[in-house]
Amino acid sequence: MAEETSKKNPEIVGFCCSYCTFKASEMAGSLRMKYPEGVKVIEVPCSSRVDPAFIIKAIVEGADGVFVSGCHPGDCHFIKGNFYTRRKIAALKEMFDALSMKDRLRLFWVSASEARRFIDKVTSFYNYIKEKNDEREKA
Amino acid sequence: MKGKKLKSGDIENALNKFLKDGQHLLLGFKKDENGVSHQIFKGSLDHHSLVNPVFGANAALYLRRLFSKGLKVMLMLRPCEIRAYVELHKLTQVEREDIIAVSIDCFGTVSSKEKKDDVPAEAGKLTEYFKDKGSMRWACSVCRERRGVVGDAGVRIDKSGNFWMVPYTERGEELVSGMEGELEEIPAEMLIPESPKTEKFQIDMETFNKDLEKCIMCMNCRDMCPVCYCIDCVFNGDEYLPKGDALLNKVFRTGSMQMPRGKDLFHLIRMYHVSQTCVGCGACEEACPQGIPLTKYFKGVSERLQGVFSYMSGRSFDEPIPYVTFLEDELKDAMD
Repeated sequence: MAEETSKKNPEIVGFCCSYCTFKASEMAGSLRMKYPEGVKVIEVPCSSRVDPAFIIKAIVEGADGVFVSGCHPGDCHFIKGNFYTRRKIAALKEMFDALSMKDRLRLFWVSASEARRFIDKVTSFYNYIKEKNDEREKA
Repeated sequence: MKGKKLKSGDIENALNKFLKDGQHLLLGFKKDENGVSHQIFKGSLDHHSLVNPVFGANAALYLRRLFSKGLKVMLMLRPCEIRAYVELHKLTQVEREDIIAVSIDCFGTVSSKEKKDDVPAEAGKLTEYFKDKGSMRWACSVCRERRGVVGDAGVRIDKSGNFWMVPYTERGEELVSGMEGELEEIPAEMLIPESPKTEKFQIDMETFNKDLEKCIMCMNCRDMCPVCYCIDCVFNGDEYLPKGDALLNKVFRTGSMQMPRGKDLFHLIRMYHVSQTCVGCGACEEACPQGIPLTKYFKGVSERLQGVFSYMSGRSFDEPIPYVTFLEDELKDAMD
């Protein structure tokens, strides 16, 4: 693993639901919109497929940040999947808060048509993590 | 709340009557010259003890995958053990049908690792012995529920040392109605008071890694945890903790690594998986050969996570575990 490059450019893992957020990321691609290369998007059938163990594993194995994204609450393809996601991720955030690393996890909702919103959310998260890493490096 | 005041010998008589039936069993504590231990009684009571001042394992561990058709099992255990049983029932690991769970007021326990001979096993003397909180296990000194108010019925002790049998469910009422005496209002103040609220748990990853430095990944904490019940644990395969060739492949892909690897991964994932069901009994710390302060983390984190949904593990049979239910309009600040 190239240590130096990973320090300069944060690696972000994103779990995206295949019906909404992943479609939005595809749409962003077809519209030639750009988001940072460090963002690695993983397609999951539904955001509730994401066991918090995946997120913990991603962070322990070196990801600087993880986001989980799915359809807006109430719009889930499987009717109620993202309500469970919301509970699980809210609990996981509380746990990360207890361990003082809450800022490394984000949860947001992006529907299939909101390519612009996807770009905004991902870029702001990326910039935030990058700022944090730079600060830590200085100190 | 109503209950029956018991004279000495009442409980033993009632339990002996219960055990006369060949299909009835009792899981409780046995006291002999070697100390107090868990015991399944069949036939009659022999050296039965109501309280157990030494904590070795959580007895709910023995109840996993208990589907006792046609038998009747009575549990006379500590509140933390009954709470773990309630959680196992919600996780469909125990059939509640034939079980009567009776929780008994707990005075606190000492660790089985540093077993002292001078620990009394009588309710009266234990209050005196545990007056100084430092003499009990850390997990017990910050326990959330030491009162016998969980399960089907409870054995409470009032300030003057009298025992009370208090029913909480229909099954408990059935048990209590078979005992002698009349139902009367129980005193408002009992010997064991409500536990005070503890501070919000807050720590950083540096301390966490330092505490886990000694971990040898024996996974005893997982095996002895009463609510960590999965047969196919995620850590048994090669996905989370690669072994053998899979491990070497990983080294080739990512570079040199410290062994044993995955300590933080293992404990963090387990911490999340048991977060809503953890009863804070401290069985993990008891099982740890390295003396890692696991209760601090598991109890602290689980208390915070249960607080998000105003849930308390093992409090009642009817509350569903938060992860398997939801409200449409909640957790507004969960998303960024």
